Amino acid sequence: MSGGPLAECVGVTRRFGHFTAVSNVSLQVWPGEIVGLLGANGAGKTTLIRLLLGLLGTSEGEVALFGQPPSRLTRSRIGYVPQSLGLYDDLSPAENMQFTAAVFGAAPGQAGPIGESGRSGGSGSGGSGGATGSGGARGSDGSRGSGGESGKRDRHGLPESLWPYARELVGSLPLGVQRRVAFAQALSHRPDLLILDEPTSGVDPLGRARLWETIGEAADGGAGVLVTTHYMEEAGECGRLVIMADGVVVTEGTAAQIVGSARCVVVEAESWSAAFSALEAAGLQVALAGRGLRVPDAEPAVVRRALGDIPAVVRQVPATLEERFFQLTAQGAATKALA
Amino acid sequence: MWAMIVKEFRQLRRDRRTLAMMIVLPVLLLVVLGYAASFDVKTITVAISGPRASAIDGVLPKPFDVVLSAADQGRSWAQNQLRDGKAEMAIVTGGSRPLVLIDGSQLFAARAALTALAGLEHGSSASGAAGSVRGIGGAGGSAAGPAFAPKLTILYNPGLTTSDIMIPGLCGVVLVFVGTIITSLGVVRERQSGTLEQLAVMPLRPRDVFLGKIVPYFLVATVDLAIVLAVGIAIFGVPFRGSPAVFGLGALLFLFVTLGIGVLISSVSQNQGQAIQLAVMTLLPQVLLSGLIFPLTSIAAGVRWLAYFLPLTYFNQISRGVMLRAEPIAALWQPFLFLALLGAIVVTGATLRFRGYLAPAGRQRGARPAPAQPQGAAA
Amino acid sequence: MTGHGRPAATEGRAGTGHASYGASDLFVLYGKTVALGGVSLSAPTGQVTAVVGGDGSGKTTLMRCLAGSLAPDSGTIRRPAKERVGYLPASSGLYPDLTVAENLDFRATGYGMSRQVARDRAAEYLDRAGLRSASDRLAGQLSGGMRQKLAVIAAMLHQPELLILDEPTTGVDPVSRSGLWWLIARAAADGCAVVLATSYLDEAERCTSVLVLDAGMPLASGTPDEIVAAMPGTLREAPARPDGQLAALAWRSGGHWRVWDPGPEGGSRLAGTEDGSVLIEPDLQDAVTVAALGMAIAGGAS
Repeated sequence: MSGGPLAECVGVTRRFGHFTAVSNVSLQVWPGEIVGLLGANGAGKTTLIRLLLGLLGTSEGEVALFGQPPSRLTRSRIGYVPQSLGLYDDLSPAENMQFTAAVFGAAPGQAGPIGESGRSGGSGSGGSGGATGSGGARGSDGSRGSGGESGKRDRHGLPESLWPYARELVGSLPLGVQRRVAFAQALSHRPDLLILDEPTSGVDPLGRARLWETIGEAADGGAGVLVTTHYMEEAGECGRLVIMADGVVVTEGTAAQIVGSARCVVVEAESWSAAFSALEAAGLQVALAGRGLRVPDAEPAVVRRALGDIPAVVRQVPATLEERFFQLTAQGAATKALA
Repeated sequence: MWAMIVKEFRQLRRDRRTLAMMIVLPVLLLVVLGYAASFDVKTITVAISGPRASAIDGVLPKPFDVVLSAADQGRSWAQNQLRDGKAEMAIVTGGSRPLVLIDGSQLFAARAALTALAGLEHGSSASGAAGSVRGIGGAGGSAAGPAFAPKLTILYNPGLTTSDIMIPGLCGVVLVFVGTIITSLGVVRERQSGTLEQLAVMPLRPRDVFLGKIVPYFLVATVDLAIVLAVGIAIFGVPFRGSPAVFGLGALLFLFVTLGIGVLISSVSQNQGQAIQLAVMTLLPQVLLSGLIFPLTSIAAGVRWLAYFLPLTYFNQISRGVMLRAEPIAALWQPFLFLALLGAIVVTGATLRFRGYLAPAGRQRGARPAPAQPQGAAA
Repeated sequence: MTGHGRPAATEGRAGTGHASYGASDLFVLYGKTVALGGVSLSAPTGQVTAVVGGDGSGKTTLMRCLAGSLAPDSGTIRRPAKERVGYLPASSGLYPDLTVAENLDFRATGYGMSRQVARDRAAEYLDRAGLRSASDRLAGQLSGGMRQKLAVIAAMLHQPELLILDEPTTGVDPVSRSGLWWLIARAAADGCAVVLATSYLDEAERCTSVLVLDAGMPLASGTPDEIVAAMPGTLREAPARPDGQLAALAWRSGGHWRVWDPGPEGGSRLAGTEDGSVLIEPDLQDAVTVAALGMAIAGGAS
């Protein structure tokens, strides 16, 4: 593999009739990094992913995968987990893996499972273990038989922690397990690029951490990972964030860089519903926050004035990534409107 | 490609409904069309009235089968037997020539009867029997000519036109279609879109939901029926001789049955595809075996018993009886009873299943319900 | 405070003296599977109570019991009459082949609202939620975020006393999520008891009290601060995954590894400080993860 990025878009634009879904986007994913793609619905994330996968052609600009235009060959080096997981509900995990393996050309179980090994201590609904690094034998055991033989021993490439579920129908498995099967499927042919669409939606915190271990190990093993997510919590898992709005990249960088020095006002009041109404009446954006209310994008003085004589403590704290995200996407929309 | 084939087979193996359809349906068609169904009428039921009744009774050959014989009755009695569906042909003796009445609404029986009578007249039926009949029938006529030369009248469908018997049958098919297929789709939609749970939580009574879902289809079915009748009568000239009230009542009962079946189908189907499969599997036997196309009596006995469980069988009797023969309700008590019975069973079943979905926590409405006994061990 | 296993269930701060809806000791069994194993919840009026857990934790089962669409096998439920309950099921409960306006119409009539009141309130909510322009669009054609906003509006249109929302924000983009939270805050401000099921801990942090479920069992409950304070042991952050025994007590977070030290009560497994690891203050996510780990370890040991 040359030293170039695994995936690259240069000035990519895609239009559907009059509607521009993606506009002049440039993006790179290098080996070993985890890039997070954030954005509201309609921001162009899905279109961008489809462009990268080669499912759509560009109106302008170029997409390169491993240095070449997307093709069936490049497709075989990508592991993709869509939001709907891409599993057949009426087949078992073993059968799903067999199907994928046959399609991707590797005999099931030949390359050995990566990303997971048997571990105790996983919780019932979401636990998954971590593996020791990358570099599992690439078929060095020489078992190049048909699916059946080696498959039985290695459970069709399923990691050991999923063996108890190997024969049940996917449709009857809990979501956390389904996700792990989908991951195993995507990783089974040792892809160099992983594209994951909302990989942990609906999973409990411990299960989410375990899934991220798998993703992290793939990255540690040299794969590049592109993740789309709506969870700000997960933004911290990504080495680099790319925020999109209305088809344009609004900003990129680490979470810390993006938040920068943005601040937010926190209001703590005994009668929070009165404070809520008062701030709303003054036209301020207010959000519920546990003990208090948060008013991003506002000066403390303005907030105090809006509260009037409602007793409250008003102070400034660093903004969250989410609040900064709103600031940026609102700005992006404004700029676009002017352009 | 091989991977795709293997996968499809695995999925198919688990899709029991599709498998059933793929296997059961051809077998059903094979049995019905190859073995059971036929247009051949093997026996023709006959009622005889008048002084010569018992004499003819003894000598009338196959395919005729005398089921009623009344020496003291005349033509109107004989005609009533046809009207009430008790016989397919009647012979009225006592006049200068015997009078043969044939029920034109039993199309194939009527044709078979005509053929068999022609054979009798020209002596082509089995040996001595024809002679005997000729002898009897000819009393009073000249001995030289063909002696058994009854006056023939075809009642109720003199032209022996197919549309006259198909249109009443079609009425039933329309009602089955709307009742079963459309209703099952409409109710499954609620399950599929997940809104059934929302209905369970709203302050709606299960009865409101059930009736509210069914009434629109009821109205649609009625409109459809009206259209079929109007076109049949106005354009195809199908008669409507009987009481609209009786017909209406029969249609109402029948509709209840089919709507109830539709709701039952939907309560065991997860999505519209499954509902359609099941609905088709209930529709096809009814079309084939209810007497709509193949006369009931011609269907092999080994399969015919099934017909008596099908609602359409009974409605066909009602619709043809009323429209073509002005059959009174008293004579139709059997189909009405069966429909009422089927209706009661089906609607009860459907309501119960519906209620199961809509009021699982019924006993806990309001504040502070009595705590239920703890069951089983906690994990 | 107790160590491993279930912490003593602490009620959240008492509500403002009004009736408290909720449930006590709910058990729901599907055959041999325990969907809910002795779960209690208190939902004071005017506050938002969060039920947190991943898929399979029993959140939806609990919501359904509260709403009345599922009867528990044992336990009591405190809920107002049907007309005073609003419910958002996991599947949104909207008719995809009706428009936004028609869906709201159906709800309004179903709950016996006066036409005018319903229209006005719907208009206000739709407006604030940014759905005004979509009122003639089929619900099935709305994007996920817009559909959920509509679903919440439909559930709160009749101003219920108890509003039960099953994962309204899962899979919803951040912009729509903030619109949803406005609606939720508005409902609570109007005096409603809101129960919210979510798998996002940052949302749970915004709520007055939290109940964490795992595989049908209560894992932790109380205000977010109480749950964090109840976390036994200490938390360290390490740059790499630790080996050996400690591996079972570690999980990945934000590119680093968090390692939990159960402390002297749990039999400390740390000889001293790990190389490069630092002591950190746990947040709600850490406390919940620790509770889940503790449960798993206790389950594995028994």
